[in-house]
Amino acid sequence: MRIKVDNLSFGYDYRTVLKNVTFSLESGDFLVIVGNNGSGKSTLIKCLLGINRVPDDKIFIDDIEIHDYRQWINIGYVPQKFDDFNYEFPITVNEILTVSKLTKIDEDQKLSILDRIGILELQNENINSLSGGQLQRVFIARALMNGPKLLVLDEPTAGVDSENIDNFYRMVNDLNAEGVTIILISHDVKTTKANFSHIMHLENGKAELTHVCEIDFGGDAS
Amino acid sequence: MIDQITEPLLLSMSFIRALFERTFMQRALITGILVGFLAPLIGSFVVIKRLSMIADTLSHFTLAGLSIGLFLLNIIGLPIGDPLYIGMIFAVSGALLIEALRSYYRNYKEISMPIVISLGTALSALFISLSGGFTSTVYNYLFGSILTVSRQFIYIITITTFIVILLIVSFYKKIVIVSFDESYARLLGINVKVFQFVTTIILGLVIALAIETVGVLLVSSLMIIPVAAAMKIGRSFKNTLIIAILFSEASVILGLWLSYVAGIPSGATIVLFNISILILVVIFKKLFSIQRVRNKQEADVY
Ligand SMILES: Nc1ncnc2c1ncn2[C@@H]1O[C@H](COP(=O)(O)OP(=O)(O)O)[C@@H](O)[C@H]1O
Ligand SMILES: [Mg+2]
Repeated sequence: MRIKVDNLSFGYDYRTVLKNVTFSLESGDFLVIVGNNGSGKSTLIKCLLGINRVPDDKIFIDDIEIHDYRQWINIGYVPQKFDDFNYEFPITVNEILTVSKLTKIDEDQKLSILDRIGILELQNENINSLSGGQLQRVFIARALMNGPKLLVLDEPTAGVDSENIDNFYRMVNDLNAEGVTIILISHDVKTTKANFSHIMHLENGKAELTHVCEIDFGGDAS
Repeated sequence: MIDQITEPLLLSMSFIRALFERTFMQRALITGILVGFLAPLIGSFVVIKRLSMIADTLSHFTLAGLSIGLFLLNIIGLPIGDPLYIGMIFAVSGALLIEALRSYYRNYKEISMPIVISLGTALSALFISLSGGFTSTVYNYLFGSILTVSRQFIYIITITTFIVILLIVSFYKKIVIVSFDESYARLLGINVKVFQFVTTIILGLVIALAIETVGVLLVSSLMIIPVAAAMKIGRSFKNTLIIAILFSEASVILGLWLSYVAGIPSGATIVLFNISILILVVIFKKLFSIQRVRNKQEADVY
């Protein structure tokens, strides 16, 4: 999936968070976004996902102006926080995933995603009985339900234990190898095992996109 | 001793005989079963979205419609038919008004409820007094009159039930996503506004119809209490819906029976059975979890 961001500025109320951000991604790219807390990483991807309303002609998805874009089902998203989800009312992992799969249900495909993420045995568990890390994996599975062409992950490994973090990166790398475009927000690039192709540093609202072969890992990147 | 046992038995015999012999009892039973099904079904989605107060608000607003209907019918002499129709219009417009206020006070959404409830109650007071004060009709609006429902009412509620079932079956996935996670629904490209609009209208209709069973003051309990009990023991979403409906139907049928044999308004009896079930669930849940902790401690010791 192609993404083009052209001179995007965005803020909440009177405070500017993003200043003249410009970059583009091609299908199959793997972008990691890093930056300090509050630097606007989540804000930027919420703009890309149409959650934050941006001015016209700033963002293009597959060359379509974002306000005209309709194929949202092709984009999988794992938010940083799950505050928007109404917990407490009973619903099982399987039920959440089934209703989130709006494309035709292929039971085998669903099971293989669960297996890959390591939540196969949690299928019939009530969502209220899951730990934070398990819940995180359920939401990752949810983002994969409709076979996304773009996967957007906002600090997806927070609260997930190290063994599952390794599994998670293996899976993301595999998906990317299969052609899925990935945008991954990470707190610290050095700990990621992601095979990313691009990295973006966000600082003071400015974005700096670098192709991966030009990165200097040793410097004071953040 | 013997008298105490046989007397309720005799009474319940006469309740069952009445069910066979009396049209009004059959209508009451059909109404009760349909409302007992619809109320917790719609109520579940209301509870998930943390909008429990909406039922109470809408029932008070519907009362305004009912009393305006009474006023038009009895004082002005307009041939409007049953005030219920005006009540239904008010229920739906009250629901839309709440939606509008909720988006107007984006960060203080719950403000919409007291505003609409006050408007509804004030209009009710005004038009009830204008149309002759506290008559038996008004009493029935407040506490329910399941034993006097008309044939038309049975048609209306049957049609509504079919529409609701049809909508839920056809849009099941989307309804569940929108209820549990509105922002994710939007992300999937679901038109959340249209969904909210339709849900709101259905909610208004069901509340207006449920008023006939348990009255304005108790409608919300019919929608919320069986769900409150079921969500404490349900294992899955569907399972919880089914339990809520079973609790609700049990309360309706038992409540109808008690209402008939004791001559108490059906609203009171149905809701008291609902509350009793809730209390039993809470107690059993507590006992059960204490037992589990104890078992676990014993297991840890050995
Ligand atoms: N919905 C919002 N309304 C107002 N301010 C916000 C909102 N979301 C984020 N912000 C502010 O925007 C800035 C960037 O936040 P965010 O994009 O979440 O940063 P990051 O994800 O890099 O930690 C922060 O200062 C944050 O307080
Ligand atoms: Mg963030």
